[in-house]
Amino acid sequence: MTLTDSELERYSRQLVLPEWSGEAQERLRGSSAIVVGAGALGSPAATYLAAAGLGRIGVVDSDDVELSNLHRQPLHYTPDIGLRKAENAAVKLRALNPEVEVDPYPARLGSDNAETIVTGADVVVDCADSFETRYAVNDACCALGVPLVEGAVLGLGGQVMAIVPGQTACYRCAFPAPPSPESVPSCREAGVLGAVAGIVGSIQALEALKLLTGLGTPLVDRLLHIDGATMEHTLIATERREDCASCSRVAASAQSG
Amino acid sequence: MREMDLTGVPCPMNWVRARLALEEIEDGEPLELVLDPGEPMRSVPLSAREDGHDVTVTGNRVTIVKR
Repeated sequence: MTLTDSELERYSRQLVLPEWSGEAQERLRGSSAIVVGAGALGSPAATYLAAAGLGRIGVVDSDDVELSNLHRQPLHYTPDIGLRKAENAAVKLRALNPEVEVDPYPARLGSDNAETIVTGADVVVDCADSFETRYAVNDACCALGVPLVEGAVLGLGGQVMAIVPGQTACYRCAFPAPPSPESVPSCREAGVLGAVAGIVGSIQALEALKLLTGLGTPLVDRLLHIDGATMEHTLIATERREDCASCSRVAASAQSG
Repeated sequence: MREMDLTGVPCPMNWVRARLALEEIEDGEPLELVLDPGEPMRSVPLSAREDGHDVTVTGNRVTIVKR
């Protein structure tokens, strides 16, 4: 066992979980995650991944911290206004857990750079706020065979789904085409309550930890919808589409990777 | 037999260290622990039983047979 005394103490309360183990902890330490978006979902997701002991986390966000972000993005504090979100998130995550290597990507992830950013990751947590990015992330993960946890939040509702490309329904299987741009209120226009985003981002982190360690049953081939107003949680079955433009041609070699 | 002196190691770090040692031995093999009286002697054998192992306690020594 090669966990240091400091790691044993830092992770002691998860190491005593019957479902956890030193082996799971070492697997996490050898794992790399990309968190797309350092905002309302990315803040809790990246925080819990860093705290749990991932080896490396890449944080992708092109925006700067604004005053209107702070009610829902707990990685960013009032004195951080004006800083790059990706870089500020990296500073906070390193302070939380110096054992984790954190790489900021102050860029907007799109179809042009998605595969470059995702390459080498063991899991991607999509906390983006646009459909363009969401589909680009899904397509890149499918092309490279990288497991993905999708999350979204709007108003008091949120949804999460986990994806193992080539084996389970991907985002495009569930939503073959993006809605028309006019019909989509972005977070900039529509309201979001921070605590609801916190729930969704935390579930995304948990699902990523499950995919990395084999813990429990991942939220695959199902979409979890949460209504924060009523606390109704609904699981909606999803299934692979044989003609899916993203995942139907996932190579067998990518699936095993 | 693998033996660990966990005196001076408080809960739950004593159980963390014991669990990691248990991961390294085969099913059916014993691990002997020396524990402080009080909470460690109450808590560690209980945790080991909850994880499904066979536990015998003699004085301040706890023998866990991995299951």
